[in-house]
Amino acid sequence: MNNIFAVAGVVIKELYRRKDFYVLFIVTILICLVMASVNIFNDAKIVRYLKEICLLLVWISSLVIAITTTSRQIPAERENRTLLPLLAKPLTRSQLVLGKFLGCWLACGLTLLCFYVFFGALSASREHHWPLLNYFQAAVLHWFMLGVVVAMTLLGSLVFAASSSNSTICFVVVGSILFVARHLDQVALTLREPLRTVIYSIYFAIPHLELFDVRDLVIHSWPLISWLYFSLALLYALGYVAVFLTAACLVFRRKAVN
Amino acid sequence: MNSPRTFFLLLLALLVSCFGLAAHLQPQFQAWRGSRASGDIFNVVLGDSRRMFANNFFVKADAYYHSGYYPTMFDDTEAFKTTHMAADTGAVKDKNHGDEHGFLGPTRNWIDAFGRNFFPDRHTHLDEGGADDNLGGTENVREILPWLKLSADLDPDNPQTYIVTAFWLRMRMNNVAEADGILHEGLRNCPDSYDILFELGRLYNESYHDLDRARNVWEQGVRLWLKIYPTLDPEMQKDHRFIMEQLTTHLGKLEEDAGNLPHAIDWFEAAQKVSATPAHIQEQINRLKGKLGLEFNPLLKPLY
Amino acid sequence: MTPILQTQKLRVEYRSRELRQGTKIALHGLDLEVCAGEVFGFLGPNGAGKTTTMNVLLGFVPPTSGSASLFGIDVRQPISRQRIGYLPELTYYYKFLTAEELLRFYGKIFGLTRAEMDKRIPELLKLVELEHAANRPIKSYSKGMQQRAGLAQALINNPDLLVLDEPTSGLDPLGRMKVREIIQRLKNDGKTVFFSSHELGEVESVCDRVAIVHQGELKAVGSVSEVTGRHTSLEKAFLEIIGFQSSPTL
Ligand SMILES: Nc1ncnc2c1ncn2[C@@H]1O[C@H](COP(=O)(O)OP(=O)(O)OP(=O)(O)O)[C@@H](O)[C@H]1O
Ligand SMILES: [Mg+2]
Repeated sequence: MNNIFAVAGVVIKELYRRKDFYVLFIVTILICLVMASVNIFNDAKIVRYLKEICLLLVWISSLVIAITTTSRQIPAERENRTLLPLLAKPLTRSQLVLGKFLGCWLACGLTLLCFYVFFGALSASREHHWPLLNYFQAAVLHWFMLGVVVAMTLLGSLVFAASSSNSTICFVVVGSILFVARHLDQVALTLREPLRTVIYSIYFAIPHLELFDVRDLVIHSWPLISWLYFSLALLYALGYVAVFLTAACLVFRRKAVN
Repeated sequence: MNSPRTFFLLLLALLVSCFGLAAHLQPQFQAWRGSRASGDIFNVVLGDSRRMFANNFFVKADAYYHSGYYPTMFDDTEAFKTTHMAADTGAVKDKNHGDEHGFLGPTRNWIDAFGRNFFPDRHTHLDEGGADDNLGGTENVREILPWLKLSADLDPDNPQTYIVTAFWLRMRMNNVAEADGILHEGLRNCPDSYDILFELGRLYNESYHDLDRARNVWEQGVRLWLKIYPTLDPEMQKDHRFIMEQLTTHLGKLEEDAGNLPHAIDWFEAAQKVSATPAHIQEQINRLKGKLGLEFNPLLKPLY
Repeated sequence: MTPILQTQKLRVEYRSRELRQGTKIALHGLDLEVCAGEVFGFLGPNGAGKTTTMNVLLGFVPPTSGSASLFGIDVRQPISRQRIGYLPELTYYYKFLTAEELLRFYGKIFGLTRAEMDKRIPELLKLVELEHAANRPIKSYSKGMQQRAGLAQALINNPDLLVLDEPTSGLDPLGRMKVREIIQRLKNDGKTVFFSSHELGEVESVCDRVAIVHQGELKAVGSVSEVTGRHTSLEKAFLEIIGFQSSPTL
């Protein structure tokens, strides 16, 4: 267990010693502040458009950070050959995969924390109330969704050789899940067999990341999600994380490293 | 040869020739019809595709009006053919006929059922409190304004945006001055728009109680309409008859309030020609005629 | 003496799409034995299969046939690597860490306690002469400094067997002498060192036994004097074993 945390610690150190996070964070802040300064019919209380833009940027930045950080982890270890001294130590390959996952996921959590604190401050500056529980639900769901993305990317980085092609593939997959997964079953109904069955099975097989996108509820100040469904969603995410990580361990175990 | 000075001289020469070329080409470029260089930033960046974006943001404003409860292209969109916020202004013909409360339909499978806990799933209107049951009262409707403004900026030639914006500014936020401003901006961008004139007349009439100005702009609206549709062609004017009916009936009411009953009758008779429900307007006419004390067709007597 | 590092009929074929002929035989039935307490030099020209042998010993590459064991345990079991230290060739350690953090990280993986690390890490940094640069990120290190950080990392767990792949590559003469001293010191502490090298001079001076591989086959093994045999130097013997004829025109 200790060595898993050691690996995770290095990943987190890498995140905050590299510049990507700061760049994305500052760009997000700047865009939001510019947007906040736009005068709309001399009404300073309009807030939802600002929440929407801010959350959109947070989502994009978090996905960029999650996917790019994760997809370069193992390829970089391989290229720099640090994988060798690492695996020559009492660290199994599964522990390495788990450590990398944990590191990337915790790193995403830290980034999200920064982003959501900014988001809360921004919206409170206009709305003058703090629906903290709503923010908590949104951030935690977001974080667990990133967990699935991280696990998937990690698996991808073991399957596909080049890290850049892996991150492109992951962006495309995650993007299309977020946009169309909710409606795939309806799409399937309009198709003929055997395509219908294929699309239908995809609909049930993929992780429904769009469930975790509760931005609309936060933007429009909807009431809290019931805690039962909230926890079920977290379990659902953890299930997929487990599936992807197991697959990653299996793939990695077969691979020759040198 | 490789000294920094030669390098800088070369760079300088290149820059000078670039500026020269640019200065030479500039007039020709300006004269070219497809030039994007003139106009505003949206025009430069997006070209004509900005109209598409404009419509997108207009619909987004309606989605905000419903606190995010909004159909996608995969759902049953019959109930959302006309944006509700536009239909509510009374300046746009409402073509919705569907169940706006349940466009999602029954749940299709467990994923769908589970997913409905995580996005807006109730029909609400922002001016009635929105999703959280009244946090900001009717003024919540201000949240749709940014998207309307963006839509107007992207496609300045669409009168509907100005009308809808002005309506909500005036009716729910009591911001008559801004409403007046946006309508005038609309008139500058689409001078031939009788619908903007209609809304402007309502503003003068209802908010400023200035009957003369209201009458002026409405009459101007009618003149514009007649200029664009000189003959009655039911096919061509399908959607546009509605606004003409609104203009003429409002003028009729205005004249009635001002006591010019014969004028009012004239307007209602004009309205009858374009109305989808002429019988209803006939009632008005008969009522006015009765007021005037003139004799009317005894066959219609049983109606009273 | 009991061999603590042993290979039997070890054969490794690389299969890869990048290779023209499909497979590349890197080792042809290699038999090797290294006994406890020895300093063993592993020699061979470029591409002979030295790194491949070490990769098998550390479990990075599965043997195509034959077997290898460390401390009598088959290398396929991770437990066999508990007591070894390994220095790979051409490694670029995490650029964003400092040498001290790097050692702490590896120490944690070995499960060392904080107190153990607080004692051991400064010692190691002093041993490889990196104490002045201990708090600088590794990206600012020269090649030799990186190599020395690698050597420190191989010693973090106080291993009984050291597997070093070209430990002196990239080091200046002083650095090489230091490495020789470190190897000597380890030998005096009763450790076993198995290392590959192209520096025949240094091999001559520190090794108890040497082996020469060529094209994946063991060509000679024994003490330095046995391998040198009738030749005037180890270098001459080496050149002859790998089949090099000095051309008279040169
Ligand atoms: N991943 C690989 N795929 C294919 N062939 C490989 C691979 N790694 C090594 N080889 C081949 O195996 C042979 C042995 O290589 P190895 O790296 O063991 O040599 P070496 O003795 O360490 O050489 P050097 O002194 O240059 O380090 C070489 O011919 C090399 O081309
Ligand atoms: Mg080698």
